[in-house]
Amino acid sequence: MAATLTTKAPAPPRKLLASRRTRAGVLYALPVVVYLLVLFVYPIFSTLFLSLKNANGSFTLHWYAEALTGVNLSVLITTLRISAETALLSLVFGFLLANAISRLKPVWAALAMLIVVVPHFISALVRTYGWIILLGDKGLVNETLAAMSVPGAPFQLLYNELGVVIGTTSMMLPYTVLLLYGVMRGVDRRLLAAASSMGAGRVTIFRRIYLPLVAPGLASAGLLSFILSLGYYITPALMGGPNQTMIATLINQQVTKENQWNGAAAQGVILLLLTLAGLLLVKLVSSLGASRRKRSAS
Amino acid sequence: MMQLRSTIAGRIALTAIATVILVFLALPIVVILVTSFSNNAFASFPPEAWTLNWYKALFADGSKWPAALSLSAFVACLSTVFSLIIAVTAATALTRSELPLRSAVYALVLGPLLIPQIVTALGLFLLFEPAAMLGSPIAIALGHTVLASPIAVLILIATLRGIDERLEDAAASMGANRLTIARRITFPLAAPGMIAAAIFSFITSFDEFYISQFLSSVDTVTLPVQVYNSLTFDIDPSVTAVSAILIAFAVLALGLVALVRWLGSGRQNSLLSVENTVGVATPGGEAV
Repeated sequence: MAATLTTKAPAPPRKLLASRRTRAGVLYALPVVVYLLVLFVYPIFSTLFLSLKNANGSFTLHWYAEALTGVNLSVLITTLRISAETALLSLVFGFLLANAISRLKPVWAALAMLIVVVPHFISALVRTYGWIILLGDKGLVNETLAAMSVPGAPFQLLYNELGVVIGTTSMMLPYTVLLLYGVMRGVDRRLLAAASSMGAGRVTIFRRIYLPLVAPGLASAGLLSFILSLGYYITPALMGGPNQTMIATLINQQVTKENQWNGAAAQGVILLLLTLAGLLLVKLVSSLGASRRKRSAS
Repeated sequence: MMQLRSTIAGRIALTAIATVILVFLALPIVVILVTSFSNNAFASFPPEAWTLNWYKALFADGSKWPAALSLSAFVACLSTVFSLIIAVTAATALTRSELPLRSAVYALVLGPLLIPQIVTALGLFLLFEPAAMLGSPIAIALGHTVLASPIAVLILIATLRGIDERLEDAAASMGANRLTIARRITFPLAAPGMIAAAIFSFITSFDEFYISQFLSSVDTVTLPVQVYNSLTFDIDPSVTAVSAILIAFAVLALGLVALVRWLGSGRQNSLLSVENTVGVATPGGEAV
């Protein structure tokens, strides 16, 4: 009896335990899944349906045609242009800063990271307001430039594209710095030392060893700040002029001022598709980077 | 990059560039803190004279700020409770059990962090408008939870992964039932992570603008929406004081997280390591 128990016992309890763990998992996952299906996924699908519906409920592509012509098209192009400019600038500044921080002593690096991370948790509205104070005609920047008697000062730094790009870049910079810092910390410094020992110059080491190693990280960081800028609203609305209207501003106007929900829905879907395309690219780049890392390790 | 042979000139140049970029990041915040005490609240820097008038004006009769502040605080508390309930269960499911479609659930949780917030806000508007729930603090809190809960889930996943599961197994082998294990082992070890998750949920809701703007009505205006309105429509100088208070609040909250992390590090290391916090600050960090 005892012998049969010991030979037979292990299988059923383990199965029982596994199914119990599965049941517990499903039960525990239920709140988050139900919540996000009802309040996140379903609303997005209803946005999609609304963008494809006529006033009388029949299927139409009219709202997309409208969103991709005339003024709306130029808003979309402006959105892409400002996002690209922001991504490029935050990538360059992010690279320089992350590089400098990765070479600092730990105490200074921690302090610098604090200055990068803390603003990220302060409301974007507040930081935008700070820029408005700084960049005004009588703001610190123009006063300083005038005091240094720079020709042409005071400059128009607000309510134009320069103002918007300054603002959005400062919002995206923490993301690129954090991402690139992580990538740079992961670079095996022995590779650089090895190249140097074989007589490679600084430029060659940078171009042939360092840059290829951080390239996937650079691409991801640039893409990510581009994607995040696409749907940005606060800074362009407050620091831009009429020529810097971005797609999020348009969506907001159509809903709150013009009651044009279908048009807003179509623009929301276009923004969503652009974002998803960008995320797919990030995924592609990171898997490319992973395979390259594997190859260099082997 | 090349520590081995970096020249002094190169080091100085790099340090100078880094300093300029750090100033670029910190300056908008410093300028608000200084201007909030200046007697000329509009875009004049540095101030000529100092005053506390803007702070006093916040609580003067007829000021809109106290109502906006209390609404935001109420909504943020509600949203924190919702997102903690969701996050504790979700993180347990994702770390401590067999879950079919695990990666699909994970992707669903990351979704709100990656999708533009204006799209989420538009969808919520289309959901709550027919239900005549525009302007309801509950609707705003439910909406904020969509953004706050993924952050809380990520923090708690990191927390639970950091707890040695063998401690729980050991308790079980000595006859503790599941409730006892949760109460005596897991909860005390996860407490710092739960506090951090609560604080980040609160800040997320408190600072949230897009959803609040779409779901607010004339009577229910949250603090960020009121700040935005003050900057665009009615010019109200006390907005600098509000902004300064918001900055102080955010710094205080981050300090609290750091403190909890420091206190918790005595129980078990790396419950809330820098990497975890950095991961939270970087949506899509998982994909990189």
